[in-house]
Amino acid sequence: MKSHGTVERLLTLPGEAARGLGENVRSVFAQVGSIAWLLVSCVRGLLGLRGEQFRVVLEVTRAQIRFTALDAIPLCTLAALLIGGITLLQVFGQLSGFGMENYICQILAQLVIRELGPLLVGIVVISRSGTAIATEMASRQLSGEIDALYLNGVDPVRYLLVPRLLGGVISLFTLIIYFDTVALMGGFLVAWLRLPLSFSAFMDALVRAVGPRELMTTFFKALVFGAVIPLLCSSFGLRVRKSTTEIPQAVTKAAVGSLAILLLAGAFLSVMIYG
Amino acid sequence: MADKVLALEGVTLEAPDGRTVFEGLDWSLERGARVHAAGGLGNGATALLRLCAGLAEPSAGRVLLDGTPLDPEAPGHPFVRNGNLGWVPTDGGLAVNLSLLDNIALPLRFTRNMSREDAAGLATLWLERAGLAQAAQAKPRVPADRTSWLASLARAGAKGSLLWLVDRPPGGLDSASRRAARAILDLAAGDPAVSLVLVGGDWMAGLGDELTIEDGRVSSGGIA
Repeated sequence: MKSHGTVERLLTLPGEAARGLGENVRSVFAQVGSIAWLLVSCVRGLLGLRGEQFRVVLEVTRAQIRFTALDAIPLCTLAALLIGGITLLQVFGQLSGFGMENYICQILAQLVIRELGPLLVGIVVISRSGTAIATEMASRQLSGEIDALYLNGVDPVRYLLVPRLLGGVISLFTLIIYFDTVALMGGFLVAWLRLPLSFSAFMDALVRAVGPRELMTTFFKALVFGAVIPLLCSSFGLRVRKSTTEIPQAVTKAAVGSLAILLLAGAFLSVMIYG
Repeated sequence: MADKVLALEGVTLEAPDGRTVFEGLDWSLERGARVHAAGGLGNGATALLRLCAGLAEPSAGRVLLDGTPLDPEAPGHPFVRNGNLGWVPTDGGLAVNLSLLDNIALPLRFTRNMSREDAAGLATLWLERAGLAQAAQAKPRVPADRTSWLASLARAGAKGSLLWLVDRPPGGLDSASRRAARAILDLAAGDPAVSLVLVGGDWMAGLGDELTIEDGRVSSGGIA
């Protein structure tokens, strides 16, 4: 009986795996659909704002930017200085073997601006703000606050989601530029300690390395990450329906989902722009 | 403008545990009518309020608010969006990150297009009526207490709601809170355009016709 059971299990395994894969694919599509729906609702909500509603949304957006961007500056500064310095050390170690130290600034700038800056800022924002947004939405949903807002004439999309979307995009954009600048300065400091490199020579190399495509990368990655992180995290938080035990699960799913989309969207945009 | 501010047509509502709360319920409330459902917890009065607010989805039938059906698939009912509904649940339904004053001012800014200063002024007036002037800058307590419920009542008044759905306050109200709540409800009841559905609290009796909920049936006279 046992061997029969094993054979049966082996026979059904591919089917189960395929079914599991199907569920995962369906789940990804459902997630993308959910974000798209929230995005459309936010854009409609934003366009429909009138008079005082606009000022309320601006106030909440300012608070969101303060939390997402300003409060994240110490962590971003530390991460940027270390990443810039360590990346330069690693690149220097490799290039000096080939006598190609002259390319060091160019490679550092391209690495930081194209990939490391947006990716690491995205991770910082997910870990600080994304999880906070998911927790807040889940708590508000469970306590009936969102229903109460709606029943009192305050559109939850306009009051809660639009400011998080706007705040996310603006914060990501400014944080990425800040991170890139600090990381490049960190790289310069390390380079200056190890190479006969002047600041003007470093800046010249930087200007040569940064072109319209780098600016486009920063802009598009900030736009996509800044929109996806708050919307996805809100979407997971708003799905909590029954008990507080669902909140940590929702927050974990929000963080993991955001990270996966961050990596996929980052790779996709890089291939589209540089591929 | 419909004569009936609320109408339930053949509504069947099932509780999450599968129990039938209402079956084929037909009930309506005339504009300006006031009803009061007394009795303890579990008589279906809160479920009726949630149905009327669109928070409970009937498995059959429909709920019309100001002549327009509530559609759970299409939120944004015009009566609600325009701030005409005064929703006062037991827990108050306040945002815990905002002060009591901001909780009242927010819908005024959103639905009445009032400036921040004007909304704060009106919110202060209604908080005074609710006996909460001292607590204006305090944030709602968790779990909600009588303060949240009173502030919610003040919010419904400040908005100039045309239909008040008021659930029972949490726990008992002290005499001062009861007097303040009664004064706010008397003000609302004094406006012929305002309809009230009140649940719980014997001290609310007299504000409206008795609403009887028995075996899933609802009956009332409704004072117009």
